[in-house]
Amino acid sequence: MFKLLEGPQTLGRGKIFWSCFLAVLAGALTYPLFADSYDVGNFAYFLIWIFMALGLCLMWGYGGMLSFGQTLFFGIAGYGYGVLAINMGGGTATIAALALSVVLAMVAAGILGYFMIWGGINGIFFGIVTLSATLVLAFFLGQTAGPEWHIGPARLNGFNGMKGMDPLAVGDFYIEGSALYYVMIALIVIVYLALRMLVNSGIGNVIVATRENPQRAEMLGYDVRKYQLLTFVIGSGLAGLSGALYTSWGQFITPSSIGLPAAAMPIVWVAFSGRSDLTATLVGSFLLLFGFQTITVYSQQAALVLMGALLLATVMLAPQGFVLGIGKLAADWWSGRRRRDDSPVMAEAGRLQSEES
Amino acid sequence: MSLVEVKGVSKRFGGLTAVSDVDLTVNAGEVHCLIGPNGAGKSTLFKLIVGLYPPSQGSILFDTVDITKERPYARVQRGMSIKMQAPSVFKELPVRQNIQIALQERLSGAERIAEEDRLLTLLNLGPDSDKLAGALSHGQQQWLEIGMALALKPQLLLLDEPTAGMSPEETFKTGELIKSFNAEGMTVLVVEHDMAFVRQVAQRVTVLHLGKIFARGDLESILQDAKVAEIYLGKTHAH
Amino acid sequence: MSAEVFSVFYQFADVFAFLILSAAGLAIVFGMMGVINMAHGEFIMCGAYVTVGLVNLGVPLAIAQILAALTAGLIGVAVEFLIVRRFYKRPLDSLLATWGLSLIVTQSMLLIVGSAVRGIGTPEGSFAIGGYTFSTYRLVLFGCAVAVLGGLYIVFMKTRFGVIARATMQNAAMAKALGARTGRIYSISFGIGTGLAGLCGALYAPTMTLIPTMGATFVVESFVTVVIGGANVLLGTAPAAVFLAMIRMALNASYGQIIGQIGMLVAVILIIRVLPEGLSSVLVRRGR
Repeated sequence: MFKLLEGPQTLGRGKIFWSCFLAVLAGALTYPLFADSYDVGNFAYFLIWIFMALGLCLMWGYGGMLSFGQTLFFGIAGYGYGVLAINMGGGTATIAALALSVVLAMVAAGILGYFMIWGGINGIFFGIVTLSATLVLAFFLGQTAGPEWHIGPARLNGFNGMKGMDPLAVGDFYIEGSALYYVMIALIVIVYLALRMLVNSGIGNVIVATRENPQRAEMLGYDVRKYQLLTFVIGSGLAGLSGALYTSWGQFITPSSIGLPAAAMPIVWVAFSGRSDLTATLVGSFLLLFGFQTITVYSQQAALVLMGALLLATVMLAPQGFVLGIGKLAADWWSGRRRRDDSPVMAEAGRLQSEES
Repeated sequence: MSLVEVKGVSKRFGGLTAVSDVDLTVNAGEVHCLIGPNGAGKSTLFKLIVGLYPPSQGSILFDTVDITKERPYARVQRGMSIKMQAPSVFKELPVRQNIQIALQERLSGAERIAEEDRLLTLLNLGPDSDKLAGALSHGQQQWLEIGMALALKPQLLLLDEPTAGMSPEETFKTGELIKSFNAEGMTVLVVEHDMAFVRQVAQRVTVLHLGKIFARGDLESILQDAKVAEIYLGKTHAH
Repeated sequence: MSAEVFSVFYQFADVFAFLILSAAGLAIVFGMMGVINMAHGEFIMCGAYVTVGLVNLGVPLAIAQILAALTAGLIGVAVEFLIVRRFYKRPLDSLLATWGLSLIVTQSMLLIVGSAVRGIGTPEGSFAIGGYTFSTYRLVLFGCAVAVLGGLYIVFMKTRFGVIARATMQNAAMAKALGARTGRIYSISFGIGTGLAGLCGALYAPTMTLIPTMGATFVVESFVTVVIGGANVLLGTAPAAVFLAMIRMALNASYGQIIGQIGMLVAVILIIRVLPEGLSSVLVRRGR
């Protein structure tokens, strides 16, 4: 089963790659030992969004479904966690609230995805229908300022957002600071490795086959709609995981984390990083989140202008993504130095050619 | 015993009737060729059989089960597979992975890899197995698609112009390949223009003309039919 | 009774005008080039700001609105030339590029102009029928929506440009081979699209608060109208707007604006499932 960690759908294989992986992981695990707790909290904050990016990478890069609805499911699970945590009380119940809110986002994705995929929606329409749903949810939540908008004791509270839910906890122990950071690291490692195994598995084969040529995939006996729905539900569930963790981290959520410009952010991260590879998305999204947060301290608008400029620059200069492009160049250089065997290079050249055409 | 029965099937696209009230029976175990001039409705009939188009009228039976309303993937699962007219492969994926995707439901582990190797060798694609399918020549893509269709080990193999773009030697080799699979019990329905190829493989021939069945029978009687020669040479149409 | 009938018509006209004015520009660009302009809302915002700026300088409202639409159209031609024309073969990338542009414009406006701009107020004028009072300006908007449809009919069906544009839409390669300057047709069409977006902003500027993010108010309506209507403005967008306006009007009247919007979205999602054939024929051709 662990053979699936490597395969044609993921870049990075062999001892060198996994040594780097372990080195980065070791660095991440020891980081809280010599950083102050404020920085560790900030780091945990960047990591929250990685799940949403990986989910979009799966849907868009592997499945060929460009969803603009990542923040829709982020919001459903984020508000879901708030409502559930407030209603079920704090303590260990928050873990159940987290799990249930992610399930809620997946159910919502299942319903929306069913109508779109069985209705034959694809290409740019997939994007604008999901974005429409996202914006409608944001507008709706913005209008819920009145006291009549509540679920149990949980007030939705309009633009000011919902607050007062407990953070994740086990019994009396709140998962905050370094503990939250370690939970994030563990979740990211699990999700990243699980996604690598998924895309290199038989199911992953069908997912990329459907992206390449849905008719041919169907002619091999696969009900491509089911695979598309599965991809959409998993990707949206990961966005939901980000949402629930976000609410737990800050103990509030507002409609502005759903609507524009928030909805554009996952697209920028994944496009800039390189949608066709999980590792590129992981690395690139982290770098962008770090940069964005650094600039936001001075001016949020300036940070968003930069994000827009990066998106424009990506599609104009490196449609396959900057991080992926640089990674491939480095890998080619490395393998070119190591051995003058040209057969894998030819395959790589074939890939580059067909990407350009 | 009939494996496929097409009963009174018509297909209209707007005002154009591409296939008109066609009855066609393909017997289990035969190589059946569908011939006819361009625009006769051969590819449309294929797409109707495999479910890419719903028929405007009529019904289609596979192995005595009415499959008229089934989606294509369900028909494939019943045991048919198709190579389409234009090469249809997964261009951005390596050749071997193309075959793997076709095989993975049937075989796994070492068995699957052995079968991949066997098919790749059979199709002369062994040396190119790590190339992206889109980087292959047109003819090689045809081979690859035939390989994917074969990988499903179908009861019924539908081939729409399998030899287009192939040299005479390659065409001959394709014919021998089809005959060897037929000898193992596979039923084959082929659309083809190349008469040498038809002569090589066909056991029964149906001629389609302007969307209708024009003639049917064994190869020799069809080849000697003066009217068939006329539609091919265009004598019935004074252009 | 007639007052009530008129009241229903008035509410319908109000929603219909909003849908047509916000969607027409987007639909033209989509219909001609298969591109969804994600910066559509920013062109609407541009029309609104130019209108208000000119009125504050003393220009009469109607003239300010025309100038605003022209400004948005000219900026659109420039954007087409600099960005959009690289992406006609990659429609998904054109979405991303225009979305990037949208982010840059909105956030830069927030940085430069700030969030509040002095509005100009809805033009006075109302009339009463029976016990109801109606705003004259809302009916003017309806008139403008109908005029936009009429104008597009004349431009695309009765002029030489329209003939060439429709030929390009059907088969760009063939039109080019026959001597049509398709590049120029695309520029003009994009300009008409963004000009109509600017007109939308100009017409609604007096009725709403001006903020740089105001475009978002219009995009959902324009998106869903185009999703249902497909590539043809006259035969697709207009009927889609009539249909959606009726749903929206019925829900607005009973449950309020936000439920109206949610209901409209749900209707759209149900329609794309129930009528996959009707839509997919459009989608297969344009949506890839």
